[in-house]
Amino acid sequence: MSETIRFNFPAPVIDDSVDRLRKEVRAFLQAEIRNGGFQPVTDCWCSGIDPAFSRKLGQRGWLGVTWPKEYGGQELSALHRYVITEELLVAGAPVHAHWIADRQSGPLILATGTEEMKRTLLPRIAAGECFVALGLSEPESGSDLASVRTRAHKVEDGWELTGTKLWSSGAQICQYMTVLARTSERDDKKRHEGLTQFLVPLDSPGVSVRGIRDMSGVEHFNESHFENVFVPEDAVLGAVGAGWKQITSELALERSGPERLLSTFVVLEKAFLQAVATMSGHQAAVMGGMLARTRALRAMSLGVAALLEQGQYPEVEASLVKDLGTRFEQDIIERLREFWPIQLKQSFGDELHYLLADSLLRQPSFTLRGGTNEVLKGIIARGMGLR
Amino acid sequence: MEQTDQLILDTAQRLFADHCGADVVNAAESGVAPVRLLTALLEAGLPLAWVPENAGGVGGSLALGFNLIRQSAGFALAAPLAETLVANRVLAESGLEVAESWTVLVFDGGVLPMLAGGKISGLVESAPMHAGVTRLVVPVSDQGAIRIATFAPDDVEIDYRESLAGESRAQVQLSESVPLALSSAVDGMSEHGLMQFCALVRACQIAGAMEKMNELTVAYVKERQQFGRALGKFQAIQHKVADIAGESALANAAVEQAARELSEHSRPFSGSADTLLSIATAKVVASEAAGTVSRLAHQCHGAMGFSYEYPLQQYSRRIWSWREEYGSEFYWSERIGLAVADELKHSAPGQNDGRVWDIVSR
Repeated sequence: MSETIRFNFPAPVIDDSVDRLRKEVRAFLQAEIRNGGFQPVTDCWCSGIDPAFSRKLGQRGWLGVTWPKEYGGQELSALHRYVITEELLVAGAPVHAHWIADRQSGPLILATGTEEMKRTLLPRIAAGECFVALGLSEPESGSDLASVRTRAHKVEDGWELTGTKLWSSGAQICQYMTVLARTSERDDKKRHEGLTQFLVPLDSPGVSVRGIRDMSGVEHFNESHFENVFVPEDAVLGAVGAGWKQITSELALERSGPERLLSTFVVLEKAFLQAVATMSGHQAAVMGGMLARTRALRAMSLGVAALLEQGQYPEVEASLVKDLGTRFEQDIIERLREFWPIQLKQSFGDELHYLLADSLLRQPSFTLRGGTNEVLKGIIARGMGLR
Repeated sequence: MEQTDQLILDTAQRLFADHCGADVVNAAESGVAPVRLLTALLEAGLPLAWVPENAGGVGGSLALGFNLIRQSAGFALAAPLAETLVANRVLAESGLEVAESWTVLVFDGGVLPMLAGGKISGLVESAPMHAGVTRLVVPVSDQGAIRIATFAPDDVEIDYRESLAGESRAQVQLSESVPLALSSAVDGMSEHGLMQFCALVRACQIAGAMEKMNELTVAYVKERQQFGRALGKFQAIQHKVADIAGESALANAAVEQAARELSEHSRPFSGSADTLLSIATAKVVASEAAGTVSRLAHQCHGAMGFSYEYPLQQYSRRIWSWREEYGSEFYWSERIGLAVADELKHSAPGQNDGRVWDIVSR
């Protein structure tokens, strides 16, 4: 008899305050678009960098909303944060500057940082004034993150870091980077041990950040070099040697968010609006099919959010969302090509063409960032007992 | 879920496991009636789960029934439980008496038979059917309203067929047939509503069957050794299994959401625009997944899955059939596209920014 395998995606509890917040955010974004506050972009959480816009969100209290009030938060639920991020994504708002700090670094500092860090940094992150980059990948370490070579040596009163971090999005405008470094010699039998996370100010002596141009033509990710960079004792996030565990739980949390299925929704929205007047049966079927998949993926993603709220650790479910969702983000562009061919680099003021072309040039990254889909499938297979 | 619901589901699970093994399913297809299964289901009162208590039923919630249907599909249940649940619920909505026997809803989403002068005429191309059925429940059209008629199987012309999985289907011809009973016009019931309801039933069945296919595949690749190790140790196989799990999970999420939404609706057969989107989504996603999951599950099983004796085929043949019934993914995708376009056409010019999302995220 085979073993029962069941994935559950319970309905999150959406109260009136969540709905009200969604409407507020939606109204604000529509006003911003009308007033020329921003131009909608595709894949906005990675491509749209606008620190001034992030500050506006901070002033409205829409960053770090789940954190304690004493650290600049609003003590709202994860679902409140979820609807804010959804609305920002579908509007194509330029949110990259604060995205990582709001999603990941803030909660990491809250869970593992010193009291001093929480008091000084979290309120600034929530205000949209302090941005944090991720220092995980290296020239020789991508999916195999445990093989990082960046080294932190113990020195008097602190640590000295040497190494290179790669693909850190937005590092050129960030004040800090969370750096994963080896703090004791690598032991091939225990390769996940001896790794430690540090919060490194990017203006420290010995740090150099160099922009890398991606295939879509922008320089948003970076190579950051650390040459004997000194950080004090309290720059350690969590426990020395506990970095791997911290990283993996961090990654699980970021796998199932709405940015794993909505990165290109703004394009689908514009395309649909353009097609409404002449929508044929076939086109309705193609476009309607994509709306159906969006809804189903969203039900899944919200289900994982509900499980997280219940205090569960739905690692497999979250990986399923990311694997399916990111492939769907790519599919949207491929399917829209049937009606809107994507050929020229220039758009001549045609907003839909601009969004389509930019999406196509950016989409290879969707199924790579935050853990490739092959790594995710490995996690899913392990969850079903195959590894 | 309520505690009593869980009790009923647990009872059903045991009953399915005891009386509906893979051999019973194959035997039923060759004409050996699964008598013990059919008797046990009736004795447990499961076909009455959706009938209100005041009409002599269990009074279970819509959620309970959809869960029961999904669970039964995980056994390729060789009994018309889903069909009878639906038909009985329709009977109860119409105010007609519900009987404690097998029955089916003679409805395939096509044009309804018409009532004229107390007699009913029309052709239903591919209705669910079963050899043990004692009564047929037929939605009929009467000047724009729907009334429910019942017939004894002998009173109409039934041309028996089989679905791809050997489940009974039939062409039913009504030629000025006189019903056993005829309800008055049923409040809050429309053709769209029947179509939505039945589509969700099929989507739940597909989701339940795919869960089982996932389980069968995982068990098989763990067990089967080739090249000196279990198939499941090969990354190429692991990735296929992960894809099966993903499509199956997505269908689950969609049918659960649709069942929740329909449950909140006071009139489940009204075909409301509110429930269209989530039910259509469930049928689109489940029907799409049916193709992917069956392809991958068979690939992982090799020739074994292609054999009649091994149970995988019971599920793949069922979902291939179910995905076409009450609207395929193509049909429901088009319905969604046209419905959203229609709504946008009616909003004021310049007021459409973000409207697609507004509708999708409802």
